[in-house]
Amino acid sequence: MFLEILKFELKYRFTRPATWAYFGILLLFGFLLAANGANASSEKAFANSAVTVANLLMTVSIFGVLIASAVMGVPVYRDIEHGVQDYYFTYPVSEKGYLLGRYAGSLVTLLAISLGVVLGLMIGYSLGPLLEWEEPERFGPLRLADYVYGTTVYLWPNLIFTGTFFFCLVALTRKIFVSYVGSILFFIVYLVAGTLASDLENQSLVSLIDPFGLFGFQEVTKYLTPPEQNTFHAPLTGNLLINRLLWPGIALALLLFTLFRFEFVRFLGGKAEKVKKAVSGEFNRGAAAGAVPIPPVQQRFDGVSYVRHMFAQAWIEFKSILRDPYFAGIISGALLFLFFDGWFGSTIYGTPSLPTTYTMLEMKNETYIFFVLVILVFYTGEVVHRDRTVKFDQISDALPVPSWAIYGGKLMTMVLVTFLLVTMVWILGVFNQTVQGYFDYDFGQYFTDLYLLTWPQYLVLMSLAFFVHVLVNSKFLGHVVAIGTYAVVFFVPAILEIDYNMFLFGSRPGYLISDMNGFGHFVRSVSWFNVYWLAFGTVLLILSGLFWARGTDNAWKSRFQRFGQDWGLKPALGIAAALAVFALSGFTIYNNVSVKNTYTSNEESLDQQEAFEKSYRKYDGFLQPKITDTELFVDLVPEQRNVKARGLFRIKNKGATAIDTLLINHSYDQKTVIMSVFTIDGIAPELVQREEDFDFEIYHLADPLEPGESALMEMVVEGGFGAFPNEGYQRDIVFNGTFLNNSIFPGFGYPSGAGISSDLERKKRGLEIRDYDLPPQDDAQGRATLLFGDDSDFVTFRATVSTAPDQIAIAPGKLTKEYEKDGRRYFEYANEGKIQNFWNISSANYEVLEDVYRNTNGRDVKIQIFHHKNHDRNLDRFMASAKASLAYYARNFSPYQFDQLRILEFPRYATFAQSFPNTVPYAEDFGWTGDFRDPADNDYAFTVTAHEVAHQWWGHQIAPSATRGANQIAETMAEYSSLMVTKERYGEASMGKFLKYELDSYLRGRSGESKFEKTLLDNDTQAYVWYRKGGLIMYALSDYIGEDRLNAGFAAFLDSFALKEDPPFATTADWYGFIQSVTPDSMQYFLRESFAEITLYENRALSAVYAPTPEANGKYRVTLKVDTRKISYEGSGEEKARPTAPSLIEIGVFGPDGTNAQGLVEKQPLFLEKRWLTPGEHTIVVYVDALPEKAGIDPYNKLIDRVADDNLIPVVKE
Amino acid sequence: MELRIEHLNKTYGNGVKAINDCNLTIPRGMFGLLGPNGAGKSSLMRTIATLQEADSGSITLGDIDVLKDKDAVRRILGYLPQEFGVYPKVSAENMLDHVASLKGINQRAERKELVAALLHRVNLYDKRKSNLGTFSGGMKQRFGIAQALLGNPQLIIVDEPTAGLDPTERNRFHNLLSEIGENTIVILSTHIVEDVTNLCNDMAIICLGQVIAKGHPAELVREVNGSIWSKSIHKAELPAHLEAHRVISTQLKGGKTEIHVFSESQPDASFHAVNADLEDVYFTRIGERMELELV
Repeated sequence: MFLEILKFELKYRFTRPATWAYFGILLLFGFLLAANGANASSEKAFANSAVTVANLLMTVSIFGVLIASAVMGVPVYRDIEHGVQDYYFTYPVSEKGYLLGRYAGSLVTLLAISLGVVLGLMIGYSLGPLLEWEEPERFGPLRLADYVYGTTVYLWPNLIFTGTFFFCLVALTRKIFVSYVGSILFFIVYLVAGTLASDLENQSLVSLIDPFGLFGFQEVTKYLTPPEQNTFHAPLTGNLLINRLLWPGIALALLLFTLFRFEFVRFLGGKAEKVKKAVSGEFNRGAAAGAVPIPPVQQRFDGVSYVRHMFAQAWIEFKSILRDPYFAGIISGALLFLFFDGWFGSTIYGTPSLPTTYTMLEMKNETYIFFVLVILVFYTGEVVHRDRTVKFDQISDALPVPSWAIYGGKLMTMVLVTFLLVTMVWILGVFNQTVQGYFDYDFGQYFTDLYLLTWPQYLVLMSLAFFVHVLVNSKFLGHVVAIGTYAVVFFVPAILEIDYNMFLFGSRPGYLISDMNGFGHFVRSVSWFNVYWLAFGTVLLILSGLFWARGTDNAWKSRFQRFGQDWGLKPALGIAAALAVFALSGFTIYNNVSVKNTYTSNEESLDQQEAFEKSYRKYDGFLQPKITDTELFVDLVPEQRNVKARGLFRIKNKGATAIDTLLINHSYDQKTVIMSVFTIDGIAPELVQREEDFDFEIYHLADPLEPGESALMEMVVEGGFGAFPNEGYQRDIVFNGTFLNNSIFPGFGYPSGAGISSDLERKKRGLEIRDYDLPPQDDAQGRATLLFGDDSDFVTFRATVSTAPDQIAIAPGKLTKEYEKDGRRYFEYANEGKIQNFWNISSANYEVLEDVYRNTNGRDVKIQIFHHKNHDRNLDRFMASAKASLAYYARNFSPYQFDQLRILEFPRYATFAQSFPNTVPYAEDFGWTGDFRDPADNDYAFTVTAHEVAHQWWGHQIAPSATRGANQIAETMAEYSSLMVTKERYGEASMGKFLKYELDSYLRGRSGESKFEKTLLDNDTQAYVWYRKGGLIMYALSDYIGEDRLNAGFAAFLDSFALKEDPPFATTADWYGFIQSVTPDSMQYFLRESFAEITLYENRALSAVYAPTPEANGKYRVTLKVDTRKISYEGSGEEKARPTAPSLIEIGVFGPDGTNAQGLVEKQPLFLEKRWLTPGEHTIVVYVDALPEKAGIDPYNKLIDRVADDNLIPVVKE
Repeated sequence: MELRIEHLNKTYGNGVKAINDCNLTIPRGMFGLLGPNGAGKSSLMRTIATLQEADSGSITLGDIDVLKDKDAVRRILGYLPQEFGVYPKVSAENMLDHVASLKGINQRAERKELVAALLHRVNLYDKRKSNLGTFSGGMKQRFGIAQALLGNPQLIIVDEPTAGLDPTERNRFHNLLSEIGENTIVILSTHIVEDVTNLCNDMAIICLGQVIAKGHPAELVREVNGSIWSKSIHKAELPAHLEAHRVISTQLKGGKTEIHVFSESQPDASFHAVNADLEDVYFTRIGERMELELV
């Protein structure tokens, strides 16, 4: 019986077009994904690396939930729907046989369908090198085992699990609807898992609960180096194994339950009752019924009543959508996502940010937008086909209502739906904020964003769905075509790398809302694009109105026959008007984007860089003068986003030969900022050549600058940001929160570090591969040049800055004068001592918090925090950090060199903090709106401030040379210093969590590396090395050799190099030398392995038991088995060697956790000792006095270890 | 006012010629449209009801060009399609009220009165608050009749209106229809010949998209009267009779097969004359056009 049903099911399925359609879609999808080489982070890992293949199959299994619900949800429901059940179940079929047969048949079908994607991937990756959509060398050999692994461990188990789930739900509830709700549920579990995963503490929980195994897989693969990614199959152990067994196990249990619960009678039950109830009315016959006369009535047919019908119909349809349980299902899914996205919000170092209004608004672009698209497609289909769906169309279409009123009513229904969708964001946003105890609702922000900027966008998206549905005129096919159209419209340009917004349906420049700058200058560009697309949408809508299907005969012939019949000329006028608006707005946009701004596609930009490098590379290192004195007169007009800056620079030829050629490279293009005055000692040099694409100019000096000779250079630059670009924030000058730096003036020489960096791209273009941007440490010219600017060594600095009357303008140095003139506010700054020619000009409507720190040299340092008026929650953190940092650095390193320290906020168009001389601009999103209420969260505002303040020493006292590795002197040292200040403030217990993020960033960074990983001594480009590895290594080093000892070395380093005005400037060789000098011989191996090489540990606690002991040296004997390995890597990520010499590694035994003074959970060591261990297994016996709870190796994760969680395990009784 | 159809043609995309040079004039009163399945009745009615286009030819209703000025037709049209559905979650009363408003009855009170009256006339008044989704087939059909009669229609087209009605309701409907048919054009499409006999002053038979007979039912019957002969035969004898005579219909009666034969004179003594009825007309005319499957 089972076999018969199974065979029938399979035969039925394999003749169904839907089965082949799903298969075909997956095949195509897989092929496109593969041939494009999408989804690999490092250029050095193959596009078809084992990890990528498994990842893709897993991802497909997530979206495959939709197919699983379609395939597995219907087999039993089909019998109800087609009314087959009335006789089918009268056949001699056993319930279990029926159910299992249907189940097995559908499941086999589902698994067969899923092979489409496997096949698609294999074809795509095989053809990839021939198609050349991606560089051929990105594709590795086809490894069948990867596909077998991915399919059997992830794809199929996931589909079996989700499919079984859907099958059972429908069989138990006889409602297809629940299978839909079920698929939403999976997405939610997945989403929740994903959101939890952003907090590293939850890693292992997430690996367990994610139904698709994606996070578990990522947990074991995320730190693999590119060569490892090519071949790695995650072993089925630990969390991954449990996860892979857990969910299919749940499915099996559910299937068994269903098998025993299922009864034909119950399955048929519901409907029979309904029918009975309906028939009862038949017996109610009024004998006198025929006698009632039909009264005469007045009929009116005019525009007014038609418009009324239109509104009435829209309202009726809208209400019926609201009552639709499927709509309720989708919208609650959408709202759940909106809520969760907003609830978890954004985190930095695991610390949540406040649920500001703009955060709530941005959540609509996360997952919600997909629901919006789904709703638009499906409900447009519903609305367009409503009468036809219930077969009322023959009646309604013959009613005396003009088509425009019907069409208008349907359209308005969807307008109402879009209105509902935007309004939901508002309601959910406010709800979310309230639940999180945040009451600073910005209703104006909600209104502007949702109704003025977002609603038009949804309307535009809707117009396309409407157009497709009307033209296709078949609901199901319409859905498919509409989704297909969206996919084409959104994904094809991405594949073709088209990013010109005017060509991308419904798209517009990205914008950000900021507390400081509000909607800033974005409303104009977004609105123009909205007008442009709305006009386009209007054309679509009028066209679809003209082709509106009415009656029973909607062959294209008949539709053309009707075209214009009931409309006349009006639509033509409408289309003409819409086209006119489209053209006009298009012209305005084009004028802004491509005429007043320069639009360069990615490919064009690469071409330009290639051409520039080929022509001008010869000028790299070309002798140019150095600035010795800088005096600025900067007039900011934030109201108009303009600036006029005059710079008086004293320049000097510090070289050995005369200079008669000046190479000028501009940071801004000519359309933004022009240089209107350029003189040397009052004489304008002659322009010899101008490279437009690269804003590079060559000037000739009639009177060459002899060696040692000085001259006065004057530059006036003016311009600003009037027109909006295709993309980009143009954040330099904004209404409130201007942030300019020295690049407002052009620089000298060939821009070092310019050009294409990708190895693949360089190879393709015949450029030699450049391993390093900077010369080696012993390069004389490199040592004579400063890393943060080759145009000058140390300079004197004065600046006069004017700005809007309600703003404060800030530049480095002591404020010497402040006054108002001609309605502008002026500030004069003069820096005490010399600085690098590396400065910022900032201006905003600030409130100021001031405090004083007494410097170790006896002078007062004025600490000022310039902040947005509502951003006062975390000021004490910034201030406390500034003070603690100044104190720690002065105590351990050297005195602070300035009389003031300014921390200032700038809008969130970028997320970073930067340290200029005595000035630290700090992005709005980076601390000011952080939510630090939970003391267990990382106080990154404190740590980052400490980092930036540390740069006053590491970067500004010691200015690194322009040689390989020198940036470690700035960044690694600042990171180290900030860790020490944070440790001093929050205690050792707080460091673990922060270091975990450092470790995670480092390991992720190296696994995505596209060139090769560099070392702390020669790294010139890799941020994950200089911040993350640097921080980890220095933290461990301070622990191993002692903080004071290490700091003494750094103090000596400062002694030799601080504020050194003349070359040679500091290199990593100098830095490393001072570190070596304070490190005992026994630990030199650690320096070598950490600074000059790449070394990772694999430490693991294997077992730990304790036994009470009568022996004298402790109450408990703990026997700990550990395993330690050390691997050194090539930069490429290949394993180089496994050193066998012993290393000093900490062993610890701990009691129950305690809390420290700050209320943080703290490990309580009963025994802690560093031991020399050779790689391999060790059994260590120690004695402790209190009952041990945990024990392990390197328990504080001081060493770099890809699996940090297995270092510590519970101690059990022997 | 009369409805005039001239040289109307319609061929569907799949090549089926649904209406083939159809000419028909339909005066006020009840007009019956007879024809076998697939004859083109529904196509013709849908074309008149503005639901589909014609390839050529014209339809005029008084001064109205039906093919062009659809709105004008819809204002005076009452249409009951052969198959239709309803909104399951809406009550009969609300739905009728909504349709009435779409038919231009703007006064709420008028609408209410009219809807109530019609609900009484189709005997759904007691069920007016029930959702349409709970209606049985017959009740749904009565609802369909009620909506077609909303708003003083001058042209009423009803396609198989009595399908699914029990005898009582069918009678009730016939009464209602003939009452209305006194001063409007009512086109009744059916294959129940008896209905046409009882109700219609005028009728047409359509086959393969063409009008093959038209006139007063009695008139049409008179034309064949005297040419219809009947004989009771054994089933096995049928092929021989089909061979020898123009058999227009067969019917089982008391275990034997009764055949009707069209012939100017008595074929042989075994046949006896019958009083022709409309059914004989129908079968005679249809048989002239197409092979009837009589076996």
